[in-house]
Amino acid sequence: MIFAQIFDAINIGLVILDRDLKVYKWNRWMEMNSGIPAAEIIGSHIFDFFPNLKTRKFLRSCKSVFTFGNFCFFSQKLHRCLFPFKATGCFDTRFEYMQQSCAMGPLRDENNEVKYLFIYVQDVTEVATYEQKLVEMNMRDSLTGIYNRRFLESKLREEFKRHKRYSRPLSIIMFDIDFFKKVNDKYGHQCGDFILKSVSSMIASQIRNVDFLIRYGGEEFCCLLPETALEPAIGVAERFRKSVMEHDNNFDGKNIKVTISLGVAEIRPNINSPETLLKKVDEALYRAKRRGRNRVEAMI
Amino acid sequence: MMDVKKEREKILTDEEADILQEIMNIAFGQAASDLADVIDIHVILSVPLVKTLQAPELPDYIRGEIRDICNISIIEQKFLGKFRGNALMVFPSHAGKELISLFGLEENMPPEADPAEMLGRETLMEVGNIMIGACIGKLAELLKDRVTYSPPRIIIENHSCDTIPDSQLSADDSAIVLKTVFSFDRGSISGFVFLVTSHESIQWLKEALRKFIEQYE
Repeated sequence: MIFAQIFDAINIGLVILDRDLKVYKWNRWMEMNSGIPAAEIIGSHIFDFFPNLKTRKFLRSCKSVFTFGNFCFFSQKLHRCLFPFKATGCFDTRFEYMQQSCAMGPLRDENNEVKYLFIYVQDVTEVATYEQKLVEMNMRDSLTGIYNRRFLESKLREEFKRHKRYSRPLSIIMFDIDFFKKVNDKYGHQCGDFILKSVSSMIASQIRNVDFLIRYGGEEFCCLLPETALEPAIGVAERFRKSVMEHDNNFDGKNIKVTISLGVAEIRPNINSPETLLKKVDEALYRAKRRGRNRVEAMI
Repeated sequence: MMDVKKEREKILTDEEADILQEIMNIAFGQAASDLADVIDIHVILSVPLVKTLQAPELPDYIRGEIRDICNISIIEQKFLGKFRGNALMVFPSHAGKELISLFGLEENMPPEADPAEMLGRETLMEVGNIMIGACIGKLAELLKDRVTYSPPRIIIENHSCDTIPDSQLSADDSAIVLKTVFSFDRGSISGFVFLVTSHESIQWLKEALRKFIEQYE
């Protein structure tokens, strides 16, 4: 059968299993990516070589192919990969394993009986990498690398929902670099950018990995502290203030000292939307500014 | 307008509709018992109500049938055989999350993803695939057709009360509506399956229905 040549020529993994889930066919693509020659795996139980496949979903899918002649799909989003192969085809990727989009379906004999099932394996690592990068870009600030305002808005909505369900505390710190315009005017915008990066990376190194640091606007930042009540959040803010004040920002041979003013707020029963919380923390920040800067003020 | 509709040729004759109803009864009966076997979950599928419509009437029909039209998700899957078209499955929005643990999909969950949201979506597609496959598969088997399927996808998610898009529905297409209520072990989740097929497929279906009944005559 000349068309059978496609089986080995195609740039997709093809596997055929019999009703006992023993490997009946294993194409070249599978040989190449698994490092397992067809001669070695044919006749063996697929789970002997790939024990990770033994999940409820995989077993159910095999059953439904043999029972209904159904097709079953294994999306990259949910499954990442069926066959754990090294991601070799794509260089600029953070995935350890090849990302795969797979499906299985029936192969019938002339009496319409399902004799075998096929699995196809498509390498989608490149697309998944692009997607991941896009998602990242969409929620990060390009200058500082910390989260952006869009991220804050969606995260706050999420955290509000969680708070409604579980009533766990949530605090937010908003801070702003004092006299930032003067830094820009005196040392130039490149220096201003340097200060923004320097301050944000220093604060980022001090927070827990459940906290989120966000560039809210020009020289304005927010830090979201889940599971944290107002009092401890004020303590965190005070720590931020001290460390920024003491930090040396060395730019172009000059040491430029800056300070920050901070406002702190937490979710309370009378604060029922992200907007209200942001308004509260903004008010606290402006009080800190009015009262002389380089200080922390909490919501009233 | 009404006159045009009345004059329009019936999609299926009364007799053909009866045969189709009968086949659906058999198919759904078998599908339910096979489903229980395959997914290890007890499934109740009600006797399907078979109805034919012109495709452009479908959005109105869905609106009329579903009480909470603001909160639905629709899964679409193309099926290709001699009988071909789109299968649409309508679920209530919350269904995905409720079905997650029932289908044991959390064991596949990549840790970095947003669990509830994505699992809910994937579960809906999984369940949609199983249900559509069972319905179409049994129908195809009884009518001696072989079908293949495209991957399921979500075309409407947490629908926000505006109109159901009908851009994909051509005026020549027909819709066979299978209204069935299905419920799993715990809690009842009900939904609809709609098959939207082309004019050519209907011709094939009429022929297949005739052959099917000939076996018994």
